Amino acid sequence: MSLMTMIVKMSEGLGKTCAIFFLTLLFSLPLGMIVALLRMSKNRVVSSVTRFFISVLRGTPLMLQLLAVTYGPYYLFGANVARNKLIPVVIAFAINYAAYFAEIYRGGIESIPIGQYEAAEVLGYSKVQTFMRIILPQVVKRIMPSITNEVVTLVKDTSMAFTVSYQEMFTIGKQIANSQTSFMPFVVAGVFYYVFNDVVDYVMGRIEKRLDYYR
Amino acid sequence: MTENTSVSPSILEIRGLQKSFSSLSVLKDISLSVDRGNVMSIIGPSGSGKSTLLRCASFLETADGGDILYDGQYAVHDGVYAPKASLNHFRTRFGLVFQNFNLFPHYSVMKNISEAPVLHGQNKEEVRERAVQLLKKMGLEGKENSYPCQLSGGQQQRVAIARALAMQPEILYFDEPTSALDPELTGEVLKVIRQLADENMTMVIVTHEMAFARAVSEWVIFMDGGVIVEEGEPEQFFGDPSQERTRQFLRNYQQ
Repeated sequence: MSLMTMIVKMSEGLGKTCAIFFLTLLFSLPLGMIVALLRMSKNRVVSSVTRFFISVLRGTPLMLQLLAVTYGPYYLFGANVARNKLIPVVIAFAINYAAYFAEIYRGGIESIPIGQYEAAEVLGYSKVQTFMRIILPQVVKRIMPSITNEVVTLVKDTSMAFTVSYQEMFTIGKQIANSQTSFMPFVVAGVFYYVFNDVVDYVMGRIEKRLDYYR
Repeated sequence: MTENTSVSPSILEIRGLQKSFSSLSVLKDISLSVDRGNVMSIIGPSGSGKSTLLRCASFLETADGGDILYDGQYAVHDGVYAPKASLNHFRTRFGLVFQNFNLFPHYSVMKNISEAPVLHGQNKEEVRERAVQLLKKMGLEGKENSYPCQLSGGQQQRVAIARALAMQPEILYFDEPTSALDPELTGEVLKVIRQLADENMTMVIVTHEMAFARAVSEWVIFMDGGVIVEEGEPEQFFGDPSQERTRQFLRNYQQ
């Protein structure tokens, strides 16, 4: 098999790689905020249950979580394994990344000086107005570097979908590598991820720059 | 908005106010009242409870006991707070200027000043016009589009004063407004406060600037250990204080 054929075959999986990437961000970024708010809840039960879930999601391998979400329903309830593996893959990724984002959000929210809340309160901002208008925009700016880190990791983590045989780019590459006893598909995959992350870096850099107008 | 028809000379009245942080009693039975158009200065050593007093009056701290009245209406009665909706209404009567300015760094000067009144349903154009006037008054003409990080501390504090005034409060509180500023920048902030006093703005000022307190106030209160040790008109208070503790405190400032 020529290098060109490899690249073309693997490119066919890029759409699925992108699907995992974008759908994971779409769901995990807002879900992470909900988790962060639950984690910071004044209700002790709510905050400790949330903390426990975060610790499980961060303390066990994503690969294991992928297997659990994909095949767990079969072993637990005898349910059929989802025909479209994208669904369990995105569920596992979104929940896992939400746990990480939640801790980043929490760090960001807790870093905003109490004086910002007090100034808003005296000026008559409601709790929701204070959060949405005063706190959140400042949090976003502060956490951008950490978010970029996670997004870059996510690009590479999409390759883990091979454990449940979801036909994304890396899974295809691995199959070619096995059938052709060649290392080249892995090199191709490495280049794909590198270029993908270059784009991510550029986009995130632009966003950070746009938030650069204040300190 | 409902107009208050009852005629009460005092905008703010506090009776028997008490506040503890766990076992530490910070305010012990504080009573005072501020009449319309008057300026009251509160002085005292660190930890005397003077900032806590202002924070209780502006509902940032919850008092344990006593009364807080605005225009003769109870905001706090015997340590019991009025319902949330009416507290929100009381909040529109006062403004607070913080030691650390607490401007919103991601907002332009204009948005810092104008957003709150607009959120309260005031006409956007009128609010913006008022903001421009206030900035002019604060000596910050043309700074509408600057961001707080581009301003000096003294300029930031003047924006904070404009922001508080934009809400058109009946009484303005200052919590050590110049303590976070370089000495050479305090003058410009004190100047605008003095200008407000000349326009008969009702104010309560917690400060360490003795000469300023003497010049600007109708009434001076000296607090120590959570109680009012002495109070009086500035000439009598600074010229001939009756309490030894007051004399001792003022002596430390004259050095």
